[in-house]
Amino acid sequence: MVDKLNRREFLSATAVAGAAMLIDACKSDSSDQKAVVKKSSLNNINVALIGYGEEGKVLLEAFLNIEGVKLVALCDIWEYHRGEGERYLKKLGNEVRSYENYEDLLAKEKDLQAVLIATPDFWHAPMTNTCLKAGLHVYCEKMMSNTIDGARSMVKTMRDTGKLLQIGHQRRSNPRYLFTLNRLLHEAQFCGKLTAIQGQWNRAVKEDFGWPKKYEISQTMLAKYGYKDMHQFRNWRWFKGLGGGPLSDLGAHQIDIFNWWMGKTPKSVMASGGLDYYKNHDWYDNAMVIYEYPVEQAVARAFYQVQTTTSAGGGYYEQFMGDDGTIRMSEDPAICAIYREARATAVSWDDLTQKGYVKAKPLAADTAKVDVRETAALAEYEIPVFFNKPPHQPHLENFFNAIRGTAKLNCPADEAFTSEYVIHKANEAVAAEKKISISDEEVRA
Amino acid sequence: MAEIHPFNHRAMATHFEVRIADQEKTYAAQAAQASFDLLDKSESQLSRFRPNSDVSQLARLAPGERLRVGEPAFACLQIAKQMEAATRRAFCPTPAALQSQPTLPEWELFPAELSVLCVSGRLEFDLGAIGKGFALDRMAELLREWECPAFLLVSGGSSILTGDPPPEAQGWSCGLGDDDSPHRIYLSNASLSGSGLAVKGAHILDPRTGEPALRQARAWILADTAAESDALSTACMVLEEEELTEVLAQNNSWLAFLDTEEGPRAIGNRAVPVRA
Repeated sequence: MVDKLNRREFLSATAVAGAAMLIDACKSDSSDQKAVVKKSSLNNINVALIGYGEEGKVLLEAFLNIEGVKLVALCDIWEYHRGEGERYLKKLGNEVRSYENYEDLLAKEKDLQAVLIATPDFWHAPMTNTCLKAGLHVYCEKMMSNTIDGARSMVKTMRDTGKLLQIGHQRRSNPRYLFTLNRLLHEAQFCGKLTAIQGQWNRAVKEDFGWPKKYEISQTMLAKYGYKDMHQFRNWRWFKGLGGGPLSDLGAHQIDIFNWWMGKTPKSVMASGGLDYYKNHDWYDNAMVIYEYPVEQAVARAFYQVQTTTSAGGGYYEQFMGDDGTIRMSEDPAICAIYREARATAVSWDDLTQKGYVKAKPLAADTAKVDVRETAALAEYEIPVFFNKPPHQPHLENFFNAIRGTAKLNCPADEAFTSEYVIHKANEAVAAEKKISISDEEVRA
Repeated sequence: MAEIHPFNHRAMATHFEVRIADQEKTYAAQAAQASFDLLDKSESQLSRFRPNSDVSQLARLAPGERLRVGEPAFACLQIAKQMEAATRRAFCPTPAALQSQPTLPEWELFPAELSVLCVSGRLEFDLGAIGKGFALDRMAELLREWECPAFLLVSGGSSILTGDPPPEAQGWSCGLGDDDSPHRIYLSNASLSGSGLAVKGAHILDPRTGEPALRQARAWILADTAAESDALSTACMVLEEEELTEVLAQNNSWLAFLDTEEGPRAIGNRAVPVRA
């Protein structure tokens, strides 16, 4: 079912011409994406959440807003997280059965249709493959896996079982991203000829995650689940064999947007990075990457940087730059921006405003008054799409709608694999200290 | 006296501090970091300056619409509603609404599904007068879970929340007023918040009139939780003394100190803590 739109979701859009078209362009499951499948009887989808750490909590919050789905089971190896989840859900009148081990969960839960997986990366492939083979549809957080082979196996299992596998690149269902891609970048050709891309996610130094002493997991159990010790369990993102470091943890979202918006994958990657600050991690704590995207007998270069030692540089975003204009996108609407070059005269701001593709930032409320002072700044424009939901909700809705047969997945595993591959290649380029070519064939699962 | 480990963090447009006593330093640092992570999460849910926050989403509701929010935002709004009633709207979570709307917006809470209904007007929540205190309460819960019961939490210098005292101390020495105030009390497992005109001028609006509130030059509230003390100290700026006395009489854990030339004067049924 197409998501019911909140009256104020498209407040700006409805004030302009072509509002119906705009609203369609914003939907996570727009009409041209819908599969022609008869509506199934899956009005109530029973779901299990595997992994109730930081990301699991984010997914649960978004999940709880969605109608027609019910969380029936929760799994986490850590009693501390499990207890937290149970208590929270009980408070909401949503009691769940909880499990330490996902295989026990699968053995006992006989009325499940789907699972959400938000565990450390190295568990994604074995869990996803097992769940798909058990006949369940899977929403798995990114990265797909800590290895290319792991990710490839997930695509294969998805194809073999015919079950759905959505990867958690949630921006692919974000109405603002969809609108800007479809209307501004493609239809209005706002950027003109794309010549460069830039993205980043910089974070300040912070203490590694600790744990309350009384909830320390026994060494035997840690070893059973693949961790050397409690510090590694809590900080798996920075350890080889468990996660993929900051390029995979933070960069994955944005590098996926590079591929999605360019509609292609890069032909090469070069990168530099290192473990220069933290002494007790395996993975690089900083990296600068350049991808080369082939465009009309030329190259558009995409620069991406991730820093875990400074928050400088204006937050996290992806910026698409062309000879006519630039679009800066972010999950944080406050960071989004659009700029036009002086040479871009073919389509005027007024035309774009009329079509509802951009909105002028509000000027003085009282038009009967005017103030005279130094020369005023140029009128500013913004992307006219807001949605009143947590950022992960549209992507989860898309997943459940796909299960019901009323939508196609916005980020199926085979599509996500292409991003997965080039992210792993960036890590490889840092290690090799050289430019690595990427062929069109190898990037497909 | 055992060593006290101090940690700092910026959030909610102010400065937060966690001091932990009677713990090994690395463990204290990790516990403090976990509490700051929780604080950052609270800010992302409660801030009206974050377009994706629960509070910003509520501001976009039309009358008749309902939105499910996260548990922390809901819990904070629940306390805000209780404090609004207890203070006869001298504390109000939509304090600036009268500047842009003819009447204060109305809203209802539905605990079973953690949802908020916009009954009328625009829900322009500004939780600045309760959110920091609420965050301190949640941070304190976390520190106790981490078995760090001897702590002092500070938010912007205007609210503190104390846990157990440091070993061999009677309590955390807390001053009423400027740095090194001579008017000091020992606190443990209690919260103290101050409001006044000295630092930011007449920044507190009387939600009932929309005008700046000018009842007290400075006031402090002692309470069991920081959300209560934070909200009540703001209400002190709005209430006349007689009304304030009636408000405080509802709850024996509340105590106000009003600034006078002779020093802070206590009002309320709670016993005045030992002077430090």
